[in-house]
Amino acid sequence: MNTNSMAINYDLNRKSWFSSLYGLREVLPGLLAMFFIAIFSNNLAGVPNPFTLENLFAWLDGVIGPLHHQSFFQIMNSNFVWNPLLLGLILGNVFGVPDCWKRGLSYIHMLMPLGIIMLAPHFMVGHAFKLGAAPILICTAFLFLTATVTLWVSRLLRLDDRHGSIIAGGLATGDPHACAILMPLIKAKGGQVVHATACVIVFGLIAMQLLPVLGEWVGIPPKYLGLASVVGVGNGSQALYAAFGGGYEAGRWATWFDVGRHVIMPAGFLYVFIVMFVRKLRRRNDPEVLATRGVKTFPVWLGVFVFLWVLACLHVFKEPAHHAVFAMVKWDFSLAAAALGLSLSFREIAGHGFKGFAVTCIAGLIRIALLLAAILVCVKTGLLPA
Amino acid sequence: MSRHPHTTDEHGFDFMANTGREEQDRDCLGILFALAVMACVTVSQYLGLL
Repeated sequence: MNTNSMAINYDLNRKSWFSSLYGLREVLPGLLAMFFIAIFSNNLAGVPNPFTLENLFAWLDGVIGPLHHQSFFQIMNSNFVWNPLLLGLILGNVFGVPDCWKRGLSYIHMLMPLGIIMLAPHFMVGHAFKLGAAPILICTAFLFLTATVTLWVSRLLRLDDRHGSIIAGGLATGDPHACAILMPLIKAKGGQVVHATACVIVFGLIAMQLLPVLGEWVGIPPKYLGLASVVGVGNGSQALYAAFGGGYEAGRWATWFDVGRHVIMPAGFLYVFIVMFVRKLRRRNDPEVLATRGVKTFPVWLGVFVFLWVLACLHVFKEPAHHAVFAMVKWDFSLAAAALGLSLSFREIAGHGFKGFAVTCIAGLIRIALLLAAILVCVKTGLLPA
Repeated sequence: MSRHPHTTDEHGFDFMANTGREEQDRDCLGILFALAVMACVTVSQYLGLL
């Protein structure tokens, strides 16, 4: 039986929305697999389990010691998404995925919109107002510019548009999380998402070495080397590594400026989705246009996310509620990432080749060059006061 | 059609396939649960329980 006939079967047996949850006996093994991968990957709220991958990495970080004031595994972007993904990937590839797990693992498609909607209170735009107009403008302009350049380079190199879109989202927002968030919107393959994430992280490793050298060479003051690191490298600890590489003052300023990149992150993935969705609507019959193929209208859950993001900006969710909701987000993404990891073979990820990395490097280097030029002009003209 | 060993079971059910009515139902449940959790947490805060 193929996927189409399974869909017809579902339609025939469907009673309500809750039919997509199937029966408890069918989904229990898969849910338990996701649950155990999640609780052995991350320190999750309500679970007093010390034997987690997160704690193992923290212990290894203690052994390795700090690198420019950052932990090694933080530089490698270990977090509540990639830890369960890694564990799921290893388990799936070493032991395989039993058939009885598969109904339960399909909950990933409910968990993704659920988690993304609950992320909304995490992005309070008001937190960035302390930075002043010019740094906010630079963060915003380079978010859209990076996404546009990446999409353009991926088209130039004839990369699959789904893969290019995911890279654009991750690189523009400076957060590999955005790659996973874009997965249900772009209708990308799991292998493309993990490959794109790896591209963004590996390019970040190169950029964090390059940026402080170039910044000092062109004469960027330490304060704005912090801003350049946040916008030009991103990825949290990678940006801080780059800034501290340029000196302690630059590093301290990077922690100050990072909020500017962080709060506008949703604009980055919304922009990539809207660009690709409009492109698909204009070129419905083009077989090369695959991104957002299958998305017929603007997704309702994305509209709910935008609505809640506006509420967050109006400070409806205050700090304790925001933290409680984020603890639930960590649970949600841990379960979803476990299912994503189990769904992939190493060959599927590696099969996407070198082209995606080339797109990431070209777009990322263009961003660094334009960013340093823009900051230098702003410093010389007094738009960014020294 | 080849069967993906990681995602497809013996009956042809592919857990990474997400289309049609089933996709809409999963999206609706995602929205419903997200709003329920957020409303519950936010109301708890305003009532002084958090």
